[in-house]
Amino acid sequence: MTALGKLLTAVIGLTVIGGGLAAYKSQKLGVPFWEGERVDEWLVEAKVSFLATGREVKARLSLPSAAAEQGAGQESGSLGYHYNVEPDRDEYTAVWSAQEREDAQALYYRVRFKQGLVSGGEPKAALEQPGKPDVPKLPGSLGAAAQNIVTRAKKVSADPDSLFVALFQQINDASSSQEYVLVKRHYEKEAEMNPNIAMGIDLLGLAGIPARLAYGVMLNDENAGQTPIPLLEYYDGAFWKVRNPLEPSRILDGRELFVWHRGGGPLLEVSGGVENSRVTFTVAKDRIPLATLTDLSDSPFLISTILALPVSERAVFRYIVLIPLGAFVVVLMRNLIGIPTLGTFMPVLLALALLEIKPLQGVLMFSILVGAGLWFRFLLSRMNLLVVPRVAACVVIVTLLMMLMGVISFRLGMSVGIKITLFPMIIIAWTLERMSLIWEEEGKRSAFTQVSGSVFVAVCAYYFMKISQIQYWAFYFPELLLILLAGILLVGRYTGYRLSELIRFKSFSNA
Amino acid sequence: MPDTAEKPTAQDDGHRWWHRWFRTPGELRALGVVGINMRNARFLLPNNPRRLYDLVDNKLRTKALAEAEGMNVAETYGILLNPHDANRVEKFVEGRDAFVIKPTRGSGGKGIMVIDKRAGKNFVKPSGVEVTPGDLKNHVSNILAGLFSLGGKRDYALIEYRVQPAELLTALSFQGAPDIRVVMLHGYPVMAMLRASTKESDGRSNLHQGAIGIGIDIATGMTVRAIHHGKPVTEHPDLGIGLIGVQMPDWDTILHMAVTCQEMTGLGYLGVDIMIDETLGPLMIEVNARPGLAIQMANGIGLLRRLEPVVEQHRKKPTADIEAKIAFSKKHFRAKLPPARD
Repeated sequence: MTALGKLLTAVIGLTVIGGGLAAYKSQKLGVPFWEGERVDEWLVEAKVSFLATGREVKARLSLPSAAAEQGAGQESGSLGYHYNVEPDRDEYTAVWSAQEREDAQALYYRVRFKQGLVSGGEPKAALEQPGKPDVPKLPGSLGAAAQNIVTRAKKVSADPDSLFVALFQQINDASSSQEYVLVKRHYEKEAEMNPNIAMGIDLLGLAGIPARLAYGVMLNDENAGQTPIPLLEYYDGAFWKVRNPLEPSRILDGRELFVWHRGGGPLLEVSGGVENSRVTFTVAKDRIPLATLTDLSDSPFLISTILALPVSERAVFRYIVLIPLGAFVVVLMRNLIGIPTLGTFMPVLLALALLEIKPLQGVLMFSILVGAGLWFRFLLSRMNLLVVPRVAACVVIVTLLMMLMGVISFRLGMSVGIKITLFPMIIIAWTLERMSLIWEEEGKRSAFTQVSGSVFVAVCAYYFMKISQIQYWAFYFPELLLILLAGILLVGRYTGYRLSELIRFKSFSNA
Repeated sequence: MPDTAEKPTAQDDGHRWWHRWFRTPGELRALGVVGINMRNARFLLPNNPRRLYDLVDNKLRTKALAEAEGMNVAETYGILLNPHDANRVEKFVEGRDAFVIKPTRGSGGKGIMVIDKRAGKNFVKPSGVEVTPGDLKNHVSNILAGLFSLGGKRDYALIEYRVQPAELLTALSFQGAPDIRVVMLHGYPVMAMLRASTKESDGRSNLHQGAIGIGIDIATGMTVRAIHHGKPVTEHPDLGIGLIGVQMPDWDTILHMAVTCQEMTGLGYLGVDIMIDETLGPLMIEVNARPGLAIQMANGIGLLRRLEPVVEQHRKKPTADIEAKIAFSKKHFRAKLPPARD
């Protein structure tokens, strides 16, 4: 087969495979192909972590029953552990167990649900009438004070809901009455959990309303590894209701908060040879419809399994899948347009840095860095250093310049300066080295042409990678990268003129 | 992806308003101009196997091959291999007044230092700038560290004979030594040019730095056309001397030398740089496996017009000998000769 035949076979093959996989995913599995069609879904991941000391381990994590009952997608990840879900009437518990584990362990449990559909905090009919709550034992004057508080609150409230509001408004109020301050101080000293909630539970108990602790997760994908938020569940005579004690008068909003655990039992129980056990939550907004998730992660195509990774690991790929797109732009710019760049893929790295910093500020910072670095580089060249030590010296200088810029811009109240560290330092040092070499060998004009060519290509790559539809495809349809690969292969055989050559040969005339 | 859609539009060679800024792809194709992509995909990649590149990228190997063929090259005075040698660089040039230090793996003339004479302890470059022995050592150290080599690999420094260019050629150049580049495909010389430096190019012969490219007729060795910054000129901008109609001396030897370089390296598409010494005649300087495209502007002929007949001829007669190849090129690539200079 000729080279061209091989190329065409490869291009057609890649296009068919990439396009076919994408079509399968979008038609059969229902992953929306256009970003606008996406369904916003929340993915909440609980991560149980602890230090195992070499003996058998058993971990029990209470699960959101709302998600379990309504068939929300759920999955667990735990290598080497036996895992099962224990239903107990309307409560569900995930149980992991293993023998002889050592070192840091991590267990994952993921739930996903449509935005706003379930908060898990809806009023729930009690399966059986809860008994009269225990009257808390408070010593002497404290008991009287607590009783006074409850009596007063009862006077201004009609039902358990308004009593709850009245009590917690007082508890949260820093300038509340002496009695509150007195009782609060006691709970701050004694209580094992959040004192406000412990106090609330006891006061509600005094008023004859059963109450217990619940836990929720903020639906906010910006802070990874958040700790569970304590909530309060109380019985109003017919239903168990959940409210956030910090906002007692608000009904829970399913778009902001997801109730992970209710029912009074412990959220996490770890037994055996275990230290430092804790549970943290990571929340991500996802765009794959619920029903297809399990299909996707079970689907035989390896490429799809990027979606089965733990949420925190997946975030890394958001950037990695963009690199081929940048490389594609570089190929187009160099081989079709003919823009000279310093180093073939330096613009891609620069573009990645620009994604974090705004492009205008980024280019400005880059220019300052290169300008100042170049000046130092010329000082260095007077000392007649050898190449490698000189580049290393440039790295040191670039690092110091970055710190300096960070400090200066912080003082001026700009936050971009701090992000400057994202610029690949070694790349900048090499840019300086090559630029000054070209400066000496070919003159400053070529040096500037090539550096500004690189920056131009980087900015183009940035704007290409910035298109949200492109990002969406790259992340959710990584198999489309095969089609991109086919495109790159085709450009690799392009023998026509570069745009720059049309200008270069403008005065060509026949002899 | 060969394009076939557009029809040539500039056959009449008439001037169009857009020629001030650009030419359309159709026009360039009609002129047979070869672009970088086409050079790489159609001529470099299929004909120059990667493993042969080292033969020409390493000047020591090129020289050894050429000497084995009995070709004239610049005499080697010494090879500096390590920092110890760098410290003794003066020993290597003892008794020599003029010499050249160059990296063995340099490209594009980078890192070449030419010394014309001595002034006391110091050395003098052609521009008159004095170089101290310390500068010389530093330069050698930079070469050894790979500053000028392809890909920054560690390198050796080569000290060799300083070519004394024939007077005929120095007359065409502002300082610097003009060299002749012959581009070949499958051993058929397809185009040649003389590169002469100007004040602007500062002794260097890179066209984009302002050197003049002077096209040479393959058949006769007569200069036919000259360009400076892409525009045709007839006189040297600094010296005012006529550049057209100059007969290159020993033209047949030069062609032979070039074709022999092709045979000894095995590269299909290459450029050979040759200098003409006043007393020794043509000397092979270096072989380039990626010759540039400016040569077609210097000759005013698209390279494709020369390369395509060669491809055809090579297909018909794959075993032609040197004489047959030169005869073919001379017959088919004869330029319209301008009147000879005085």
